[in-house]
Amino acid sequence: MAPTTCFNCKEARAVIIRPKNRHKLCRACFLQIFETEVHETITTSNLFYPGERVAIGASGGKDSTVLAAVLKTLNERYGYGLDLCLLSIDEGIRGYRDDSLETVKRNAEQYDMPLMIVGYGELYGWTMDQVVEQIGKKGNCTYCGVFRRQALDRGAARLDIKHVVTGHNADDVAETVMMNLLRGDLPRLSRGTSIVTASGASEIKRSKPLKYAYEKEIVLYAHHRQLDYFSTECIYSPEAFRGSARTLIKDLEKIRPSSILDIVKSGEDMAALVPQGGNANGKTCRSNAAEDESAGGCGSQNGRTSGGEMAAMETQLAENEAAESMETEIRLPAQQPKPGNSRTPKQIKKQTMGHCERCGYISSQRVCKACTLLDGLNRNRPKTAIEVGAGMDDEEISSTLMRQMEHTQLTNS
Amino acid sequence: MPAKELTRPCMDCKDAEAVLTTRKRSLCSHCFKLFIAHKTFRRMDHHKAPPKKQKDYVPSKLLLPLSLGVSSSVLLHILDGQLQRQIANIHGRVAYQLHVLVIEPSTISPGNLSYDSNFEELQRKFPTHAFTRLPFHSVFEYVPEMKDLINEYAGTQFADDSSRSDKDRLAAFRACVATATSKDDLDNVLLTRLVVAFAKQAGCETILWGDSDTRLAAKTLAGAAKGRGASLTWQVSDGMSPWGVQFEFPLRDINKPELHQFASVCSELANIVVPDQPISENTLTKNLSIDELMMRYVETQGAKYPGVIANVSRTANKLQPAGSDDCAECALCGSLVSNVKGNTGITVSSQFGESQGSRFCYGCSRSRPEVRS
Repeated sequence: MAPTTCFNCKEARAVIIRPKNRHKLCRACFLQIFETEVHETITTSNLFYPGERVAIGASGGKDSTVLAAVLKTLNERYGYGLDLCLLSIDEGIRGYRDDSLETVKRNAEQYDMPLMIVGYGELYGWTMDQVVEQIGKKGNCTYCGVFRRQALDRGAARLDIKHVVTGHNADDVAETVMMNLLRGDLPRLSRGTSIVTASGASEIKRSKPLKYAYEKEIVLYAHHRQLDYFSTECIYSPEAFRGSARTLIKDLEKIRPSSILDIVKSGEDMAALVPQGGNANGKTCRSNAAEDESAGGCGSQNGRTSGGEMAAMETQLAENEAAESMETEIRLPAQQPKPGNSRTPKQIKKQTMGHCERCGYISSQRVCKACTLLDGLNRNRPKTAIEVGAGMDDEEISSTLMRQMEHTQLTNS
Repeated sequence: MPAKELTRPCMDCKDAEAVLTTRKRSLCSHCFKLFIAHKTFRRMDHHKAPPKKQKDYVPSKLLLPLSLGVSSSVLLHILDGQLQRQIANIHGRVAYQLHVLVIEPSTISPGNLSYDSNFEELQRKFPTHAFTRLPFHSVFEYVPEMKDLINEYAGTQFADDSSRSDKDRLAAFRACVATATSKDDLDNVLLTRLVVAFAKQAGCETILWGDSDTRLAAKTLAGAAKGRGASLTWQVSDGMSPWGVQFEFPLRDINKPELHQFASVCSELANIVVPDQPISENTLTKNLSIDELMMRYVETQGAKYPGVIANVSRTANKLQPAGSDDCAECALCGSLVSNVKGNTGITVSSQFGESQGSRFCYGCSRSRPEVRS
């Protein structure tokens, strides 16, 4: 059988079956088409303006590496006039982050972009390794996600950059749509589908230029351009098991490859139908991006909800129903409306943005999520380190310590 | 009087043996039926007869499409009970009239046998209501533009032969649809069109669909997965359909297993209900249709987390219908052709290189016979 020729140029030999629509393409055409689609996304949604300084949130993973490569290519090809730089967060996870940071450092050289690394240690006084030591391997992704969101904004602020682009792809967006349908969270569904999330109070805007790009095509693109990326998942993530939404989307993709895009389209339409979603359209959504996306903090955790979460929601819903069947309707005697005190219909509570009392970071709460989490962590950290008086023998030290500990245990119990 | 010796008394009446457990409560069959019926009546509350002093009252006509499956049969049984009580009450008035429409199951899936006996049994058990039985291909009769429409829609893949019967022409069209997902999708579209057209002709202002909350959850997720998110406001929510007929889902608070339980304690339905054909466990995922995949997903998840699944359709019911002021509607399924107002997203089918006329919506363009994948 003769080799299949490229669907696009009809000349070269096809080496790729496009996951999005199963077109058979040659290498050059695939790269070209992928880039053009990202370019169309950028131009139709007016993501950038000439001369804009843009930070690429770079983790060293495939999504952000491809994003950096494509943006550099497009910036040169179409003359966007962007001033691009890489912004990396060092969570402080030994064995995972130090390696991927090396990748980012190489990328910075390869793409000739300045790189800035912001560490959890310097921002919060806690590295992820320390957090895990404190709270265990379960549920630590919440901390990581919340901390990372703020870290990106703070890093951008330090560089005096107003726009951060992230590597969220179509699969991520589709997952958000399905997950929030299952969770019954329409406001979050609406925020997750918008290509730009501008923080209400802070000046830093976030966008996802790869919103319409398939994860599989991102991998193919990285492979065929031989990009240097880091492919090991976060070492703390394997315990966070894959959520329902992700499995469902993988199954859907097998049945109808276009369904990832179809879900994105449905999500965009539904976002416009969410009650009170006045400004929540497919393009811009004003809200605190840092808190919105906190749940899906790191790429590998995206869409993975712990089973406990589903079970907890089930219990909650069952309790609600039980309570509903037990409740008695109590009618208050009709009140005469007081003149000049006309009642306005109840408004759906909206997020109002303020600043965190502690750190000044934008938040809808009095104290931002990161500070709340830090509070919990710091409460359990010993206020003063145990110091051992000098001059004692080893044996003595251990026995003194032992006695002290016994004493503590006794008083505790 | 000595109390009855009951090993497991019903938690409601405490006077009969409990035969089943639902929502963690053991009930006798009578109390269980009351419980389910009550949940349905709550959704039917707004269909009320006006006070007696108001003369010339004609009860509104509601259409109940009956698939002969468990859900719609149970719905018919419950509503019939309500109407019989209203008829028996000499001081009262009936709140509505029912017209039952059966679209011949044998004309939908060829494997099905003829259901003459079920249909006769139906008329014997529920003699008060009007019944109509139509074959699937009568969609060409009730929706006259449909023949031209499917020709335009199917494009080159479908060669219509006007000399053939409606039955053959519909079969030919359905045969040219390549994938299981598109087949199911288009069958649903055509069935909806037929039911709506019939409702309009019969003067019914509302259609009462028999979907359980399980089914509604599956339809919500499948709708989202097929790019039909915008039409969820009438496909799974109570609301106005694009054709000016109201859609309602009175069984939206009851899940599928409960409806099966209902049918099992309801002898009247025994010879009417056609059992569902189970989705084979062995079928490869990629050979399922999206509708089947979602039904399977919702049923397995619903067994573990019924509340979470019930919440899916409640969530979809919160979406506000789009104002369709001057937006074009899909000639086939009635959805919006363009994005919902306020959605500036750029997911369009033209990304797939098909720039056909804009008479059809995004969801329908995905199910076109030409699209193989």
